[in-house]
Amino acid sequence: MIEQFGNGLLLGIIISVASVALSLLYGVTRIVNFAHGEIIALGAIMTLFFSNPIDSKILFLDRFAPLGMNFSISILIAILICGIFGGLLEIFLFRPLRKSEVGNIAVLVVTIGLSIFFRHLYLLFATGRVQNFPLELERRQTYLFFDMTPRNFQVLIAGLIVMIFIGLFLSYTKIGKAMRAVRDSNELANVSGINSDNIILFTWIASSMLAGLAGIFQAIINDVRYNMGFLILLLIFAGTVLGGIGTSFGAMVGGLLIGIFVQVSVALPFMEGHTEAKNAVALAIMILILLFRPQGIFGQKERIS
Amino acid sequence: MTIFLTAGSIYLVFILNEEGPLRILFNLLTFAGIYGLAAIGLNVHFGLTGLLNFGHASFMGVGAYVTLLLIPHAAGREGEITDTGLTFFPALVIGIIAAALFGLLLGLPAIRLRGDYLAIVTIAAAEIFRLLVRDLESVTGGVYGIINFSESLQIYKPEFLINFSERFELNSSQMWVGLLSWISIFIVLILLRRLINSPWGRALRAVREDEDAVRALGKNAIWLKLQSFMLGAGIAGLAGVFLAFNYGSLQTTTFVPLLTFYIWAIMILGGVGSLTGPIFGSIIFWVIISETDRLAQLIFENANGQQLAGVRFILVGLLIMLLMIFRPSGLLGKKEELLLDVKSS
Repeated sequence: MIEQFGNGLLLGIIISVASVALSLLYGVTRIVNFAHGEIIALGAIMTLFFSNPIDSKILFLDRFAPLGMNFSISILIAILICGIFGGLLEIFLFRPLRKSEVGNIAVLVVTIGLSIFFRHLYLLFATGRVQNFPLELERRQTYLFFDMTPRNFQVLIAGLIVMIFIGLFLSYTKIGKAMRAVRDSNELANVSGINSDNIILFTWIASSMLAGLAGIFQAIINDVRYNMGFLILLLIFAGTVLGGIGTSFGAMVGGLLIGIFVQVSVALPFMEGHTEAKNAVALAIMILILLFRPQGIFGQKERIS
Repeated sequence: MTIFLTAGSIYLVFILNEEGPLRILFNLLTFAGIYGLAAIGLNVHFGLTGLLNFGHASFMGVGAYVTLLLIPHAAGREGEITDTGLTFFPALVIGIIAAALFGLLLGLPAIRLRGDYLAIVTIAAAEIFRLLVRDLESVTGGVYGIINFSESLQIYKPEFLINFSERFELNSSQMWVGLLSWISIFIVLILLRRLINSPWGRALRAVREDEDAVRALGKNAIWLKLQSFMLGAGIAGLAGVFLAFNYGSLQTTTFVPLLTFYIWAIMILGGVGSLTGPIFGSIIFWVIISETDRLAQLIFENANGQQLAGVRFILVGLLIMLLMIFRPSGLLGKKEELLLDVKSS
């Protein structure tokens, strides 16, 4: 079980970062973004594109060669690209929709279309093969009481640092406070001199960069697939719901908990031989939470109407 | 306009396929019938009652699995034929009832949750269903699926269909499934039309427009919603059974969320809240799908099969987005039948 706990922490940190991103976006824009998974995959695929050796012609019908750049620089560029991608989505798609007062439900369906569209664009571009980052294999080591490779341990630490950074950012910077203000009431924020359009644009960019980072984490720990984001999207929803929809701090804890639940449930006695169903446990938790405590663990009751 | 478009798209099949257009046409008409039937069920949920159901694939799955497990079939790795002694039609009825009951189960959260939350719950429940079916290998065959069940339906195949199929070199088993699905569509549509124009149907639409008003008038809005959920789920279960018979084998991978999104695309294309819309939407949709494959093969020379299939999904995604943005009431839908612009409170 302790073995699984380490795996759970790793899955948890991926879901956690992605959940915070989703939760930020939902809080500020009220958009349930089904295309979140595709931004996650974009981060991983872009990193692969920049960092893979030039001689491996794996992209776009074997015609394009990757760029073979330094791995850390690739990560940074990929995250930036995700941010730009999110910003473009807001400017060219979601802002016009908001201005023409399209309902939340219609926007939700649009994000589903967006998700299907980009996911299969990746399939066409980055092939359906499972691929890995150009990193050498490492041996597992013991940290405190769980086993993981040094690289995965670094991912875990990096994830935690990012979380703390987001927390501080939301609590203490001006723009973080403005984001929380827009979340609580768009009109009131406007009245007090906050340009909510800019804040929403900033939220899209920040959320997409975080999602891209989550995708890179996922790809380092596991692998790169065209549908990697969609595969964990429901777990991300579960993490967001568990922590309380729209609460960033809740999403952090909720995401970690879901990751640990999923991995540890494999070790439970009644789950023996049923490892395939482990995701079902997390989804069932989410449904129960929505039914009996829709504000999640950390949400306040008045936030959910 | 819609009929014109549908006829035009069928004509397109004849232009684009010099060899064996009839074969391709009947193949896609079979799929169109099955998916159209499922879309009619979804329209009961969303178009008529305003319930945001993203777990439609699981209703189809419940119908298909329950029915197939009751008739002679071979499930799992060993593939031994098991039999409960039921013939096809009683099994089908039980399958539809099972799907409706699953709809009731999934509908219970609908009482408490508003739109976007319901969407997440239904899609999650559908995934739970799929994961459990995959996991319970001893009953459902797990990843190995169910095979050798077609005979139960094919023994009813009428003589004229066999003769017709032989003359035009068509697959008579598929023709039979296709014919049955279209017959079902007409029966379901006739029943739905009566239901919708009854006091019950008016109450249902009233729930969609203003739930509080319905409640104030003494109607049980929650029970109405649940009934709608069961009705739509039952129709989806029927479609699921035909889908299984059309494939000839039942796999858990059939009931992934993408199936639900296909049905959504068809419903939006045909017109949200329009009774006959999904039929036309379905035909146009399948013409697009089947002809895209051909075009994709021309454009992307060295793409593999999976990538070629991806091209059609790219198109589906684009279709959903564009329709939702520019023509959310669909090709045939009436503007006033549309609830999408209501902000969820």
